Amino acid sequence: MELIDRYVHEVGRQLPRKQRADIQVELKSTLVDTLEARVEGEPTQEDEIELLKEFGPPNKVAASYYPQGQYLIGPSLFPLFRMVVAITMLVFVIVQLVLVGISLVFNGEVFTFLTVLDIISEVLGSAFTAFAIIVIVFAILQRFDVKPDQDDEWDPQELPEIEVQDSVNRTGTVVEITFSLVIIAILLFLPDKIGVWVTPYTEVLLNPVLTSYIPLIILSILLGIALDVITLWRGKWETSTRLAKIGVNLFGLYVLFVLISSHNAWLAEQGVTGFFSFLDTLGEGEIGAETALILGMQAFRMGFIIAAIVISVDTVTMVYRLIKNQITPPVTITLSDNN
Amino acid sequence: MIKNTSKTHEKLTQDLRRGILVLATLSQLEEARYGYALIDVLSRRGLDIDQGTLYPLLRRLEDQGLLDSEWNVEGSRPRRYYQISASGSELLQTLTEEWQNLVGVMEVLLFQTKE
Repeated sequence: MELIDRYVHEVGRQLPRKQRADIQVELKSTLVDTLEARVEGEPTQEDEIELLKEFGPPNKVAASYYPQGQYLIGPSLFPLFRMVVAITMLVFVIVQLVLVGISLVFNGEVFTFLTVLDIISEVLGSAFTAFAIIVIVFAILQRFDVKPDQDDEWDPQELPEIEVQDSVNRTGTVVEITFSLVIIAILLFLPDKIGVWVTPYTEVLLNPVLTSYIPLIILSILLGIALDVITLWRGKWETSTRLAKIGVNLFGLYVLFVLISSHNAWLAEQGVTGFFSFLDTLGEGEIGAETALILGMQAFRMGFIIAAIVISVDTVTMVYRLIKNQITPPVTITLSDNN
Repeated sequence: MIKNTSKTHEKLTQDLRRGILVLATLSQLEEARYGYALIDVLSRRGLDIDQGTLYPLLRRLEDQGLLDSEWNVEGSRPRRYYQISASGSELLQTLTEEWQNLVGVMEVLLFQTKE
């Protein structure tokens, strides 16, 4: 009977404590009953093995005492869980990016490759914490068997419209191309006008940093235009164009990164770091040309940081859609009229 | 046991048999029986049941108030006896009617509409 005892013990180990002893006694008595009915005289170990094999592996038997299954987050909660995670992560990443942008502008932190790595690891770390908290909350809901309302009185007319997420926003893309072309034109033909315009001075105070990066900026914008044209022509986003867009965005972020850090460096040379700390040093009265330029450079930097945030959000969305489409490819349903 | 080379076939066959398990069990518990005795009587009357499925089912039916149970410690070892409850009898009647209905329908579907 040794194997039967071990079997019963093993099944019991996987049962809820409350029912364990009771089920174990019944299981053992049943097994012995079966064995006795089958075998005349003293049962051998082979008889036990045969019987237990028939009964099935202990984990399977134990699991059959939980008809609804054992879940950390069960099937009725899972769709809600997935939605909450998706929304939280998206909001979280955007908020983090904005916070990082704000701290860069106002505290004038030195912006280097290492700080970028720091920021990324910090964002990932806290995103993971947020995820863990959501899992714990849902596991608790599951433990107490809380289920989302299942409305039997649902109205088919309230079904959400089908979103065509893959279609290209034509107007937006055309506006983007136009805008990009204007910027390229300015960079190419009016480089001596890029700077700070202050009313008392008739001359433009040239941005001393930007001009040296004009080819790089133009390259990045041209890549964007090329991709815009391709997506307009295709009419919808595909994996290849999404990947290309992510690449173009990353390159754009790199260019912005270079611009922001060179603005930082320039401002640091003038002994200026943060925006507010600089405002504090301003006295009453007329603003001199030098001060105006410093303010202008702060504005340039802020503009680039905002652009970087916008592009980052766009990239995150692209990656999200890309992954989503890999997991659940969009289905086009067509019904033919002729049966 | 119906043997099938394909696992899918086997699983679907089991699913079908599992569907009648409650009805079969209730039908044999007018008198109190313990686990093995129930398996034995079902088997002698032609229905082989996977033992691992039956015992959890008995407990579930008891939780739902369809069976009553009692430990009997008089024999060589303790045995838990199950017997149909009043609510279980009502269910048995409903399921029996449904079963007869289904048999009629399936008869038509399977044999009488074949062309």
